[in-house]
Amino acid sequence: MATSWPKKRRLIGTKIQRLDGPVKATGKAKYSYDINRPGMLHAVLLRCPHAHAKIKSLDAADAEKMPGVKAIYAIKKAGEELYWAGEEILGLAADTEEHALDAVRAVKIEYEVLPHIVKEEDALKEDRKTVSPVGGKRDNVLAAKDAADDAFDKGMTDAAVKVEGSYGVPVVCHQCLESHGLVAEWGEDGGLTVWASTQAVWGTAVELARYFAGKYKIDLPAEKVKCITHYMGGGFGSKFGPDIQGLVAAELARTAKAPVKLMLDRASEIVAGGNRPSAYGKVRIGATKDGKITAYEVDCYGTPGVGVTDTVTFNALPYVYPIAYKRKHTRIRTNAAMQRAMRAPNHPQNCTLTEFILDDLAAKLGMDPLQLRLKNLPQNDAEKAKIAPHSLDALKNTIYTREIEIAAALSKWKEKWHPPGKTDGVVKHGIGMALHTWGGQASPQSNECTVTIHADGSVVARTSTQDLGTGQRTVTALVTAEILGLEPGQITLEFGESTFGASTGSGGSTTIPSQSPATLRAATAARDDLFAKVAPKLDAKPEDLIVGVEGKILDKAKNKPWTWKEICARLDKEQAKGTGFWNYGESIKPDNRDVSSSGVGGVQIAEVLVDTETGVVRCTRIVAVQDCGMVVNPLTCESQVAGGVIMGLNYALFEERIMDRATGRMVNPDMEFYKLGGIEDMPQIVVHLHDMPERGVIGVGEPPVISTHAAIGNAIFNAIGARVGQTPFTPERVLAALAAKGGKR
Amino acid sequence: MSDTQGRTPLEAALSRRDFLRTTGAAAAATAALAETPAAFAEAAPANLSVKGMGPQPIKLTLDVNDASVTTAVEPRVTLLDALRNYLDVTGCKRVCDRGTCGACTVMVDGKPIYSCTMLAVEAEGKKIKTAESLIDGGKLDAVPAAFVKYDAQQCGFCTPGFVVAMRAAFDKNPRATPAEIEEALSGNICRCGTYQQMRDAIAELCNKQKKGG
Ligand code: FES
Ligand code: FES
Repeated sequence: MATSWPKKRRLIGTKIQRLDGPVKATGKAKYSYDINRPGMLHAVLLRCPHAHAKIKSLDAADAEKMPGVKAIYAIKKAGEELYWAGEEILGLAADTEEHALDAVRAVKIEYEVLPHIVKEEDALKEDRKTVSPVGGKRDNVLAAKDAADDAFDKGMTDAAVKVEGSYGVPVVCHQCLESHGLVAEWGEDGGLTVWASTQAVWGTAVELARYFAGKYKIDLPAEKVKCITHYMGGGFGSKFGPDIQGLVAAELARTAKAPVKLMLDRASEIVAGGNRPSAYGKVRIGATKDGKITAYEVDCYGTPGVGVTDTVTFNALPYVYPIAYKRKHTRIRTNAAMQRAMRAPNHPQNCTLTEFILDDLAAKLGMDPLQLRLKNLPQNDAEKAKIAPHSLDALKNTIYTREIEIAAALSKWKEKWHPPGKTDGVVKHGIGMALHTWGGQASPQSNECTVTIHADGSVVARTSTQDLGTGQRTVTALVTAEILGLEPGQITLEFGESTFGASTGSGGSTTIPSQSPATLRAATAARDDLFAKVAPKLDAKPEDLIVGVEGKILDKAKNKPWTWKEICARLDKEQAKGTGFWNYGESIKPDNRDVSSSGVGGVQIAEVLVDTETGVVRCTRIVAVQDCGMVVNPLTCESQVAGGVIMGLNYALFEERIMDRATGRMVNPDMEFYKLGGIEDMPQIVVHLHDMPERGVIGVGEPPVISTHAAIGNAIFNAIGARVGQTPFTPERVLAALAAKGGKR
Repeated sequence: MSDTQGRTPLEAALSRRDFLRTTGAAAAATAALAETPAAFAEAAPANLSVKGMGPQPIKLTLDVNDASVTTAVEPRVTLLDALRNYLDVTGCKRVCDRGTCGACTVMVDGKPIYSCTMLAVEAEGKKIKTAESLIDGGKLDAVPAAFVKYDAQQCGFCTPGFVVAMRAAFDKNPRATPAEIEEALSGNICRCGTYQQMRDAIAELCNKQKKGG
């Protein structure tokens, strides 16, 4: 059966307030951190203070005797090696948090401290092989990947103008305000319930079931593990699965036969709760005199901590623009926590390694960088248009060109842009731009939704998916209400519990393009079931019943309107029910085209004021133009975009994980030296949603974060005529760039 | 990295909580001193005779959201932890636990306070209000109502702290300008990035206040 959105939409595309707004704003919403169960114990983790060490001995006997201690779980034992400062060694649960904290200090551990490397450049100087073995090897510097396309050599040789530069972004931390963690409680029936702060409600339950069934050879089917996440305080890619603290909390709860709460403290959250890998690179670019780019070369490196993954999206360098390339990427393993996916993983890095040099090139060509971009945009792909006319590939040129025009108009680019560094005064104004792209299609795995209509007219929409603050809960109600002719507030939500059906983790901006169509199908099926069940009692044919205006159900044949309550009352003792599922496979079936799709662009323009005496950068205005197919709820969608921009501004001006070479520890695992902007640091943010309903629903959580720092970096270049190549753009770096440029300011 | 938020968790001979516990031996006295810092030098010797508290739990009666509630906590327990862990009042959130982020903001006798920086024993006899007090039956206070209207929250974890800080700022000066409200919020941090929407909420609230009186 073909699925499609209603042609006329009453609610979709209108601003609907968050249904959970009041409970969240008044502190009544219960997050995992807020769950207090009867008899609950508090757990803490003991972490390694060294960046690389072997445990010589571990003695928890004294700790066990401390007041209130109920359970200890050793994660590591004597003889084992630890590879980063902050690595988990042992978990301990006590009756009060105070007792748990006292007791963990009584654990005696002797370490043999081993050499470490925490800075990328140190590893490049000397590979001391300080990390965990992978394939038997402890190399810090992994073999580089490289690739080049055939047209590269000629493109570079023929280029009339060549520019090169060094650019980079450091490791930054997710810094979720609700830390990672959960409450774990085993039931009398042998089942496990967790209230977890997670982006993957269903997946967390499945993983816990698998882990404990396997480890203890117990009968623990997935249905007996329940993960509850009604509210969660931010994830940004760092909160999938039970994680080590989830396993430890459940172990402690099992031993103590009591519920256990284990939420990371702030320092642990920052050090262990997730980080985005760094990327630093040398870039070279060649172009014709009139600004057609002919070749792009990058040689970059970055660290995924003790992980092994790429720190850039290798196959998308250069980013956005199709240019003959030569690329090289080196992964550097350091003694620091493994990177985790962070809001559009690796795209901000790619954007850095592409968008900065474009403006440096434009300056050399004496060109407006906006014109340079227009000139080098990808073309619409006519072949792809035949298969999927609304895909990004089919429309790239059209979408980017339009978005650049809109952004230019909203930012008054024409009036405000000036050649780099060509303004007078101490405080200099600059304007800069950058582009980005992202996927945002439905998830490959299934997402389910069930809608039930009761005889009293009440409607329940049920799904296990999570609302990270994206507004997904409201969207589920909105879509259900749209189909049934009701208001979102009339829909009761059963939401965020793993037993409510399958759903995928909220990663890759896949939630709304997976969940909205599943809800559409469930609500449509429930409506049809309702009409089939009540039609005979109304002396009508099911196909004559339609949802009319103002929530009335209309019998077309008799032109008779019924109220929703009157209709539902005819259900009597029955219910009407519909289920729906959606995934990537469904989304690409020809019949279902344009219900959800994939691929977005996005353009951002930033303005800054740079004080050339102090080096302080103030960002004054950002225009963000973003497409995401059909905008379901513009209110929460704009919030997502503005939120992404603000995170990107934090990357640009404030955020950096700073590692201490001597101790191998992070020196700013807090919120005063790992700085995030407050309200007074914020520019005016103008969000323009480039609504394209004909494309269907596409996710938007990630793309808006990608290019902000690059737009700000280019605005700084425009202001001072000198490149500050590394984020964050601190006063020190700005002054250094000015000094390097020399001459008069 | 452990509880202490210290850089050397295992080696720390004295954690912040130990510190609070020992100095908290005269917690009430310290609180009194805080109000008259100039008198500190002279007052200190006299106060040494004050009877110490703890380390065992102390019975405590707090006035939280107009209700008198009783619990027992060790003297080192912060107001934040007493509210969250002992009284199940969880609108105040624990994020940084060291006076940087504002998520734990509550009103103490009408003033916005980081509840992670105050000991529970210091809060006895004071009127404590949390975000939960800003909804009465179904009626939302104007500040959270504006947050809802303009979508000035995403995950919402920082929101109760912002809401309380903003409520306190308007209580202090009902004619406050947007810039003054922003200043009053400068001790709060939001990771999701809800500041633009917050500004919309502030604009409306400032306008209303202007018109209203
Ligand atoms: S938790 Fe109190 S200020 Fe951050
Ligand atoms: S709304 Fe998530 S931290 Fe502010």
